Amino acid sequence: MASTSSSPSMAIPGQFLGPVSKFQPGPGTHIHESNLYSSLLGVVNITQPAKAPGPAKRLNKIINTQTTPAELPTISVLRSAGSSDKREVLPEVGNIVLCRVIRIMPRQAVVAILICGDTVLEAEWQGLIRVQDVRATEKDRVKIYDSFRPGDIVRAEVISLGDQASYYLSTARNELGVIMATSEAGNTMYPVNWKEYKDPETGLSEPRKVAKPY
Amino acid sequence: MSSESPLVVLPGETIDPSLIPTHKKNPLRLGPGLRHIPPSEIVPTVAGQLVVDHRKTSMWIEYNGGRYIPSQGDLIIGQIARSATDFYYVSLSPYTPNATLPHLAFESATKKTRPQLASGELVYARVSLANRHMDPELECVNSSTGKADGLGPLKDGMVFDVSLGFARRLLMAKSREEGKVEVLEALGEEGLAFETAVGRNGKVWVGSESVKTAVMVGRALRETDEKGLGVEAQRKLVKKLVREMR
Repeated sequence: MASTSSSPSMAIPGQFLGPVSKFQPGPGTHIHESNLYSSLLGVVNITQPAKAPGPAKRLNKIINTQTTPAELPTISVLRSAGSSDKREVLPEVGNIVLCRVIRIMPRQAVVAILICGDTVLEAEWQGLIRVQDVRATEKDRVKIYDSFRPGDIVRAEVISLGDQASYYLSTARNELGVIMATSEAGNTMYPVNWKEYKDPETGLSEPRKVAKPY
Repeated sequence: MSSESPLVVLPGETIDPSLIPTHKKNPLRLGPGLRHIPPSEIVPTVAGQLVVDHRKTSMWIEYNGGRYIPSQGDLIIGQIARSATDFYYVSLSPYTPNATLPHLAFESATKKTRPQLASGELVYARVSLANRHMDPELECVNSSTGKADGLGPLKDGMVFDVSLGFARRLLMAKSREEGKVEVLEALGEEGLAFETAVGRNGKVWVGSESVKTAVMVGRALRETDEKGLGVEAQRKLVKKLVREMR
């Protein structure tokens, strides 16, 4: 059985953990020339594999002397000292995310992705909503200034992992769009219809691409 | 229009409620420089002269600021900084972000026939979109009628810088009575032939066949603006300039 004294308890990126013959690679590790190295700075976890229920009574079966891969302990490096179930959540294509609008430009809106599904993300990822992805109809006559404003909270869907800078998002469905908006006067607004939010104090309405409430 | 001495307000001052025009049906309209804090407060945000118009039930503040802030519908003179794929970058004032002017926002411009404007050329355009979140956008054509109405590139001539308040007075419909600007009419009466275009961003373009005329017009405008000349003083200035240059 693998002893924990041969592999370190804390690891820095690039630190040697053990050979591939002794461990199974888990999250936070990578293999280089048949050796396991850590990819992250964190705590080293070793989980013993579930014992395969072997047929104990068949004495004349030829048993493989080498340990099969399923019986190797899994070594993983985790950032926090939590359980190995807690993984870094990343937005995938098709996820519904909640984001805040950072900046608007004539052809796109830059947003910061805050929540993916039900999980609050630890880091803010940047997303981009292009002008042709704001609505499903009349895509060429969309005005970003009438759909989003900086500071709005938007429910959007990830359509592509995008380039180095940002994910690509879309609000081209009825239930996607702005879910929370603040007026120019500073008050929280209520949705009136699919393209307007209204400030209850001043009575003025502002155009937005409104998400249909559930 | 106020007949007594003009009321100068500072930002944050309370305005005497008796000055606010009321009407049975028309709602009160606030112009630039005033802010409404519900339910019933009206607060100036700039320092200037409070102007009240009872006929239109509106009030606003006349002020002379240093920095031009674009607002929708303004006519401006901009200089082309460079050309991008679908639009020009136009500089309205120094050290501010450029405004965008689409290639197709000119009279009778199609994808095949685009205007050929080099960087450094001047255009007379209208602000089509201006808000504090995005860079301003311009157009050289009336989007509803499709006609230019005098907008477009300005060829030859010279551009002079004036203060924003003076540019606003020049653009008034009744610049002689309300703006107290007679300098252009006086120069015309002396027999000079020239044409002008006034940009709300503090620029006046003067075009003329003779350079002397253009320079004379420019000097007259600059002196009127800098010294704050009244109508009589403007006439004297014009006579003096014509005498000097002849």
